[in-house]
Amino acid sequence: MTENESPRIGVYLCRCGGNIGDVVDLQAVADKLKEDKNITVNIQDYLCSSAGQDKIKNDIEKGKIDRVVIGSCSPKLHLETFRGMAKTAGLNPNLLEITNIREQASWVHDRDSKESVNSKVLGLIKGAAARMGSIEPLTPLTKELVDRTLVVGAGIAGITTALELADSHEVILIEKLPYLGGHMIGLSKTFPTLDCSQCILTPKMVAVHNNPRITMFTQTEVADVQGSPGDYSITLKHSPRYVDIKKCINCGACARKCTAGAIFLPFAQAVPQAYMIDMSKCKNCGVCVKVCPRDAINLEAKEETSTISVGAVAIATGFEPIDPSFIEEYNYPSPNILTAIDFEEMLSAKSKTGMRLQKADGTFPNRVAFVLCAGSRDFTGKGRKHCSKVCCIYSQKQAQLVKKMKEDAEAWIFYIDMRSAGRRFEEFYHHTQEKGVNYVRGKVAEIIPKTDGTLMIQYEDTNLGRKGREIFDMVVLCPALIPSKGTKEIADKLGVSLGDDGFIEEKHVKLEPVNTLNQSVFAAGCVLGPKDIHDSVTEGISAAHKVSQFLGKGMILIPPEKPQIFECNGCGECVKACPYNALALDGGKAVLSPLACTGCGICVPACPIKGIEIRNFTRGQLKAQLQGILSEAPGVLVFIDPYAYAAADIAGVNRKQYSSLIRFVSVPSIHILDADVVNAAFEYGATGVMLIEGTTDEKLTSRSDDLYKKLKKDTRKHKKPLRYSHIETAQYEKLTDLLNVFASQAGAKAEKRGRKEKGEKPEEQED
Amino acid sequence: MKKEPILPESRDTTFRDQVLKTHVGEKIPTCIQCGICAGSCPVSHEMDYSPRELVRMVQLGLKKEVLSSNTIWICTTCFSCSVRCPRGIHPTELMETLKPIAIAEGIINKNAKFDNVFSSVIKNNGRASEFLLISRYSMTEPRMIKQLPFGLEMMAKGKLPLSIDRMENTRELEAIFKLGEKGESKIENKEIKEKDREKDSDKEKEKEPQETKMQENENEKVEAKK
Ligand SMILES: Cc1cc2nc3c(=O)[nH]c(=O)nc-3n(C[C@H](O)[C@H](O)[C@H](O)COP(=O)(O)OP(=O)(O)OC[C@H]3O[C@@H](n4cnc5c(N)ncnc54)[C@H](O)[C@@H]3O)c2cc1C
Ligand code: SF4
Ligand code: SF4
Ligand code: SF4
Ligand code: SF4
Repeated sequence: MTENESPRIGVYLCRCGGNIGDVVDLQAVADKLKEDKNITVNIQDYLCSSAGQDKIKNDIEKGKIDRVVIGSCSPKLHLETFRGMAKTAGLNPNLLEITNIREQASWVHDRDSKESVNSKVLGLIKGAAARMGSIEPLTPLTKELVDRTLVVGAGIAGITTALELADSHEVILIEKLPYLGGHMIGLSKTFPTLDCSQCILTPKMVAVHNNPRITMFTQTEVADVQGSPGDYSITLKHSPRYVDIKKCINCGACARKCTAGAIFLPFAQAVPQAYMIDMSKCKNCGVCVKVCPRDAINLEAKEETSTISVGAVAIATGFEPIDPSFIEEYNYPSPNILTAIDFEEMLSAKSKTGMRLQKADGTFPNRVAFVLCAGSRDFTGKGRKHCSKVCCIYSQKQAQLVKKMKEDAEAWIFYIDMRSAGRRFEEFYHHTQEKGVNYVRGKVAEIIPKTDGTLMIQYEDTNLGRKGREIFDMVVLCPALIPSKGTKEIADKLGVSLGDDGFIEEKHVKLEPVNTLNQSVFAAGCVLGPKDIHDSVTEGISAAHKVSQFLGKGMILIPPEKPQIFECNGCGECVKACPYNALALDGGKAVLSPLACTGCGICVPACPIKGIEIRNFTRGQLKAQLQGILSEAPGVLVFIDPYAYAAADIAGVNRKQYSSLIRFVSVPSIHILDADVVNAAFEYGATGVMLIEGTTDEKLTSRSDDLYKKLKKDTRKHKKPLRYSHIETAQYEKLTDLLNVFASQAGAKAEKRGRKEKGEKPEEQED
Repeated sequence: MKKEPILPESRDTTFRDQVLKTHVGEKIPTCIQCGICAGSCPVSHEMDYSPRELVRMVQLGLKKEVLSSNTIWICTTCFSCSVRCPRGIHPTELMETLKPIAIAEGIINKNAKFDNVFSSVIKNNGRASEFLLISRYSMTEPRMIKQLPFGLEMMAKGKLPLSIDRMENTRELEAIFKLGEKGESKIENKEIKEKDREKDSDKEKEKEPQETKMQENENEKVEAKK
């Protein structure tokens, strides 16, 4: 394209089978668009198919078009696909954009008229085309990757990831507990084969310990994350063990002399094999220090920090059980009511009872009940909605163990649905039945501790429709498995989103199950949802492969949408404003370090002479887009950042309905906005403007309130509603509620204004 | 109990939809038949169908069985089921929703009698009176006569006071009953207050002696029975 030539924009609309085509009259949209002579329009059944892509490719190659606007599913799904195609066709990938007319239009406006949805779609595409007209062909920046990976959590998933990666990459593995193995080291036998957990895990833990490419830290957590994908500087916090792991030879001389019982080995097979001190018991007498032959003990040890440099992170922080005490009718905690995890531990390497199953009084329980779904599958808000997946099978394993330890002991399983999908699981169920375990289909209604230490269970046998009562010696609750504490903190630090169940959100549920929305962060195991060892290991291997693929590129591409400083009087306001120290004054002018810049846009409104613009999100480009969007009909403009955009997409996938007056404008961050743009929105006919932010980066969110207040003040003259809201990716339901409320408020206000303008007396408004 | 097969003609989808549309109905399709409701219910063993079964039958639209079951009348509204249901279904409120439908359909289960007596006592007095309740209920339910010696014993011990404690201002109460009869579940304060204002306080006074008379009658009847 030469300077004076006007752009030739190809608009491609996708029917997506009927997903879009059945709701939106694409032909009508196309006919309207064609009124602009710079635009050609084409409709396809499936644009992402090779036939669809070939059409666009051909048009580019033949020189029919030099810019592309696609109306299809979310850019989160196919932007990379289409931009890849554009690149092979010889077009700068930046000159191709997607307008989301599925997740954010055809799937969410069932309640609105076809006309209204049509005019929304038409507006959105017109807006995208208007902005596209002046998009610059930019080239992404590149940055070298650090070839080192941090694996957080040393359960079976983290151990597997670390070992697989260490074949060819350097790994740092951190674990918050004093030993490796996660929950698996506390298991007895493992379903469905009943092999001993410790026997299959120990060799792996030893391999981690001995691998020269793995640096392992126990009692360690992530304190702070700086830097950007591919090049993180992470601060680790190490709690003191008071015994030097490298020096301790496990002789036990210290423990034999300690009168307070404060120094101990966590359990016989623990890796690393080293003693540790419980400071709450220690009397600081110093005996252990004196007797230790290796001088390994330091009672003065303090919490320490260290900083590491890594290119990628794998999160494998696993799960924890929900605390069942909120289920009042189960009377937990009470003697002989335990969680399944306590039950496992009693029979595992971590056993404190010499691997004997015993009641509070030390005797064997002759009648044991297993209470399933304790806190799972609960939609009341008290428990968790999800199924914990492994309890149906492990409870049967535990029941088998009871029968194995004592043939005439009784084991009862109270279940709602016996979920045994998966290879070898139905056979396991069948086998457990054969062993004489009692199955009752019914959720336990009450567990009542008796004075003699036994427990009465009240239930309905739903197969018979009859209530029943039974007395047991021990009741095992199978609690909901939830993300381990700290999952949210670490996800926030790394800019990774969580699902509404609190587990880490995958990049794509099916196709990219161990990737996250952050290209350099991966996840494996139960932190992605409850699962068994087999699946945790599978994910560990996958995550290692994905990390390795990522690191193998050696370089990371950085989006080119950075600020451009085209006028500067050297006042330094932007330098002060930038939260990432990406700007500096050099020779009286502001200069940008593009690799430090995150493209947040805070510098844009900070510049008093409007000398800074984010490339491809300039005020002019945004205004052109807004004008296009509102050219068909008035609506509510919603500026949305990429994290909240993902929430809107999830709302779409879940078909959460909201008003078709809502029109999203995707921005890298809401902080690029100033009154200039918002006022323009109102002038073009927006009935209301919302700013929706999803990022958890405090450097941005801490400024949002000020931004909102300033915008509110500076756009006051329009007397139209403006609102700011923080919506994390998981909160898609809150998002749609908010959109609906705001759309109707904005509508009501506009109506009132309309009447006033016409000179009618406004109706009394009731509260 | 004879169990009829479930056939297309036994399922009444209009009835099902009528119930599902109410504020308690919304979650009924999500019942997982876990049985914690029936297992928790203090009286489910007395019921034709347990709360769990009733929910299932509503899902299917088994109108006749649902409305003629004693379940909805036996329920003590203890709320155990509603508090524990993992799907947030309120079997207790479902019972309350089904009762007026049964009445409107003219299906009167013998277990409904107590409810009728109870609500009329409340309507007239604003407060429950054990004495009025028992005496009136005995008149509709002959087998209560067996309980007479026990009742007298209670009376002798002062556990069944003869005095009738009456609410002074029953205007709001009447409004509640009116709304209830209209079949509305949400009582809006505003409406009551408006009705309150409309009321002429003189009329109120006229009404009062009349009602006291009624109560006296009641007392006499019971005396006579003794
Ligand atoms: C009672 C019970 C019985 C089971 N029985 C079986 C069975 O028989 N067979 C089977 O296949 N599966 C079984 N499972 C499932 C099995 O336990 C899991 O699949 C497996 O443990 C998951 O491993 P993980 O590494 O994902 O998580 P975890 O084992 O939970 O490991 C996570 C690790 O991360 C650490 N961590 C957490 N947060 C942080 C942080 N912020 N910083 C650093 N470290 C952190 C934790 O301390 C832990 O060591 C059972 C589960 C339960 C609850
Ligand atoms: S796996 Fe079984 S016991 Fe566990 S929550 Fe799911 S259904 Fe309930
Ligand atoms: S866009 Fe954000 S990070 Fe980049 S220079 Fe401006 S304020 Fe700093
Ligand atoms: S408790 Fe709720 S989910 Fe369970 S059977 Fe009863 S109504 Fe259904
Ligand atoms: S509210 Fe009614 S149905 Fe529910 S448990 Fe109580 S008596 Fe049973």
